[in-house]
Amino acid sequence: MTQILLQIKSDSLAMATTSSSNGLLSSTWFWLSIVEFIFIIFLLIKLKKKKTELAFSDLPKDKMKTAKSSNIDMDNLMNSINGSRDLYKELSKACHPDKFVNTEKQKIAEDIFQDISKDKRNFEKLLVLKERAKNELNINF
Amino acid sequence: MVVADWFGEMAERYRLVRDFNKAAKNSFIAGIAPTLLEAKITKGDSAYRHAFSKWMSAGFRIKALSGRPLEKSELIEIGRVVLDNEELTRKLISLGWDTLEVHSNEGYNGAKWALKDYANIGGFLN
Repeated sequence: MTQILLQIKSDSLAMATTSSSNGLLSSTWFWLSIVEFIFIIFLLIKLKKKKTELAFSDLPKDKMKTAKSSNIDMDNLMNSINGSRDLYKELSKACHPDKFVNTEKQKIAEDIFQDISKDKRNFEKLLVLKERAKNELNINF
Repeated sequence: MVVADWFGEMAERYRLVRDFNKAAKNSFIAGIAPTLLEAKITKGDSAYRHAFSKWMSAGFRIKALSGRPLEKSELIEIGRVVLDNEELTRKLISLGWDTLEVHSNEGYNGAKWALKDYANIGGFLN
């Protein structure tokens, strides 16, 4: 009987030691998680601060939405990549204002030449200007 | 950002790349383009970041796939055509791209631009 009682006492002592060490362990994890949490908050604040310092951070959201939903004419882009250079050269040579010095078409030629220089990499707009040059300056391409 | 917005934005990004590739393929098949171009999403350059940059997918790369090899001046010309297209530049920025890269099909020839430097056109920054 005494032996059984002694056995129970030693078991309960062992249990108490384990539970106290478990408490210490959980407390360590608790503090570790607190430190991690603070570190994450610090990183988030830093990230937000950095984002506000970057370009376009003050851009209104409605402008972004309209930009996102715009449709791009990819065929015109491909034509511009492949054909705008040659068309620009052709048009700028044919419509140069120096060819119309002291004539009534000089002003029109200057306007068209300005537009050609502005839209030198837009194939569609260059085609429109070519038509305009044909009609208003009587140039045969 | 709302989850639906995020998914919508991702779909729009992939739609833009798909439309570009489709137009490039048609142009090559029709014989208008001497080189087949392909657009894809890359990491981008961290030095070109802006407020809308996507993490690890902020580069818009145009690569020559086959056909005639492109010279440096031609690569630059392709980049300039994209950057001169105000609408496209604004759309690229708003969809989270910050770097435009144009690469040749041979070697390591290529050029890259920061899209933010070309955004103050058409009143985007007003």
